Amino acid sequence: MKPVILNIWSFLVRLTARFPSIGSIAPFIPIVAAWWIVTELQIFPRVFLPGPGDVVRSFGLLVYTGVLPEYLQDSMVRLAVGAFWGIALGIPLGILVGLSQRAHTALWPLLLFFQAIGDIAWLPILVIWFGYGLVTMTVVIVYTVIFPVVLNTVLGVRSIPITMERAARSLGCSRTRMLWEVVLPGALPNIVTGLRNGLGYGWRALIATEIIVGTSGIGFLMFDARRAGSVVEILLGMIILGILWYIVDSWILAPIERATGQRWGLVTR
Amino acid sequence: MKNLTIRNLSKTYFDPYAGTNVTAVHDVSLNVEQGEFVCIVGPSGCGKTTILNMIAGFLPHTGGDILVGGRPVNGPGPDRGVVFQSFALFPWKTVLENVAFGPKMRGVGKAEREKIAHEYLALAKLTEAAGRYPAELSGGMQQRVGVVRALANEPDVLLMDEPFASVDAQTRMTLQEELTRIWQEKRPTVIFITHDVAEAVFLANRVVALSKGRVLEEIDVDLPRPRSWDALNDDPQFKELTGRVLQLVRSA
Repeated sequence: MKPVILNIWSFLVRLTARFPSIGSIAPFIPIVAAWWIVTELQIFPRVFLPGPGDVVRSFGLLVYTGVLPEYLQDSMVRLAVGAFWGIALGIPLGILVGLSQRAHTALWPLLLFFQAIGDIAWLPILVIWFGYGLVTMTVVIVYTVIFPVVLNTVLGVRSIPITMERAARSLGCSRTRMLWEVVLPGALPNIVTGLRNGLGYGWRALIATEIIVGTSGIGFLMFDARRAGSVVEILLGMIILGILWYIVDSWILAPIERATGQRWGLVTR
Repeated sequence: MKNLTIRNLSKTYFDPYAGTNVTAVHDVSLNVEQGEFVCIVGPSGCGKTTILNMIAGFLPHTGGDILVGGRPVNGPGPDRGVVFQSFALFPWKTVLENVAFGPKMRGVGKAEREKIAHEYLALAKLTEAAGRYPAELSGGMQQRVGVVRALANEPDVLLMDEPFASVDAQTRMTLQEELTRIWQEKRPTVIFITHDVAEAVFLANRVVALSKGRVLEEIDVDLPRPRSWDALNDDPQFKELTGRVLQLVRSA
């Protein structure tokens, strides 16, 4: 009996080493199985909890009609635009506050104050100012992305050892070049952490915003499905959210982390 | 390479906890000729690192003069290379890029500065490590990189702040021997800070004993070179010199 289990185990280990994607799918198998069993046993009425098969069928239908690709694209573009501005504004601001004691004194209390007014708490006033549209959504996402990026960049800049700066200076590095040669790379592991948090929050804020003010997008899809009483589409939307984030994290963020902080020994694995 | 002159150097700072002025360095004068290897030795808190930080330009001095080749020191600069106790290599740069950093800041082109870096890496037997990141190296190898990174920039004075204090004893002896070899080959002007009397005597042409921010005595070391621990461990002159310095430092 034991060798059989061991054989299966070593087969699995070799399989996941050869095809890492299997390793990331495997944890979901029992959950999907449990879901399937619960729906098959008809514990809850089908209308309230459709099975995996229904969701897959709904996925096929929405892809076929073109609704899903369009909504997906809308959501991704909004996230990308928001993330771009959040990063483009957040990193310079974080470096400024991290380097200059004066900027820190002046801006830190403001940062903390506005961070506390969470993303969607701005929605009521933004809708009055900008209406139901892309501007409102972009502002909310930028607002959400920017704080984790700024705060982590400040932390990163401030945690660069003073000997780094001294070493660079005594090797002839000017203050301006220090920015690119020491400050930015030194803070990069923290910046990536900020990015990861920021994008995660931004993603959630986007869905919430689409639910409230959207006319398209994954969040809108889910809320619209509620109006139509289609639990299947709500579930589909939730699953898409999870999968999309998983892809963003493992295809974009994790490789950046591996190539920078982990490689440099600044972050322990 | 130029000579270094320190005249009546002092450092006083205000201690906010004690509420008094503290004098860390008191009226220190020292002249280091071009190509000399001078060790400043003394116990913790004697002001030796403060002196080095002032020469490097990391700390302002409150009295006296520091002149490199006749020019007063004003902030850090590439004329004074520094080797740090904590290595202070750039973790985001490969070993080669670390060593090529000084020439890069001078505006030396990529091919040329990499040639310089390779040359200096070979000097410290680090050719194999050129493409690796500092975190992938042992402490001893990291500090070898630290030394050649400072040397590759061809400073007038090389300032070394207890550079071998954080490596193990065996590696330290190897590094000390290598340093004397490299010094003989390149003849940089070196000021080396240490609390280890044997290390000071082993490396230096001249040992400056320091205590409570004052110079006690300067002792010339005319042991033959090249120096090795195998030869010097039982050398009576070496023992006599270390004994003298130790007595000086301990009695003060």
